[in-house]
Amino acid sequence: MRQWISAAKEVLERASTVAKFLCWIHVTDSYLLSSTVVQGASMLPTLNFAGDVVLTEHISQRLGKVGRGDLVLVRSPIDPNKILTKRIVGMEGDTVTFFADPHLGDYTISREVPKGHIWIQGDNMYQSRDSRHFGPLPYGLIQGKVFFRVWPPHAFGSLS
Amino acid sequence: MGQWAGFGKGLLGEAFSFVKVFLFLQATNDHVGGFVLAKGPSMLPTISPSGELLLMERISVQLGKVRPGDIVVVQSPLVPKKRVAKRLIATEGERVTYVVDPKNSDSLNTIVVPKGHVWVEGDNIHNSYDSRNFGAIPYGLLIGRVFWRVLPFKDFGSMEPHEK
Repeated sequence: MRQWISAAKEVLERASTVAKFLCWIHVTDSYLLSSTVVQGASMLPTLNFAGDVVLTEHISQRLGKVGRGDLVLVRSPIDPNKILTKRIVGMEGDTVTFFADPHLGDYTISREVPKGHIWIQGDNMYQSRDSRHFGPLPYGLIQGKVFFRVWPPHAFGSLS
Repeated sequence: MGQWAGFGKGLLGEAFSFVKVFLFLQATNDHVGGFVLAKGPSMLPTISPSGELLLMERISVQLGKVRPGDIVVVQSPLVPKKRVAKRLIATEGERVTYVVDPKNSDSLNTIVVPKGHVWVEGDNIHNSYDSRNFGAIPYGLLIGRVFWRVLPFKDFGSMEPHEK
């Protein structure tokens, strides 16, 4: 009987160490710094098609310090399970001007970004689904600011 | 000198314990749920304007299992740091008919909630700023589902929508 109790105690201690470690990882990952694999053609030439590993910080958006020109991770307004990587082109109150269809000529459209929202576009405007298609999105959908690339090694470095 | 070192070590130990508890509470709050303080007139008569302490769970939102009728906490689409409690009225693809301006006229408007979005309204439609004003909001702004009232104590109990 005594062996069972001491074995149970040890299991509990080990489990609690793992739990503490997971909590630490979660808080760091959600509130401080995390790494993400990003892929796709919409951010060429800034980000590669096959997949880059980038570092994202989660402090700036909580302090309201993300702005025009920043690379951000946002939750898709069309599919809440998807995270997109795009650039902020306009903040609330800005007027953004974009080509209605870049393949088809120079016709431009201008929109004003409403309060509490941002306008995002992929750097590769020919192959990106962004605010030009689904409109401005609420600032609250920003997950973090991408600031550094870790992989591939030849592209290691800051992304500002 | 030895006393101070011992004292310092003791303090550091206490600080570490505090940090561990804090991290655990934060992780629980983000993945499981926690307390929310709700106030304001927009959810009368369900929630009193002077403020109520409620319990919110995050799991339904994360699993996509919130349903019309649920009371949800959402991030405001206008003031990103603000969180508001509203009732979920419709999910993507559903049709919503609402009174455009209840104070001034009876005219109705019908819209279909776009993909990836939800429609929320306060129970007090005469004094609530919600989807009738700012439109359908992306599902990604949902934070959690309110299911229990803690305070005021005389109203302690379930806030599940389908039990009345």
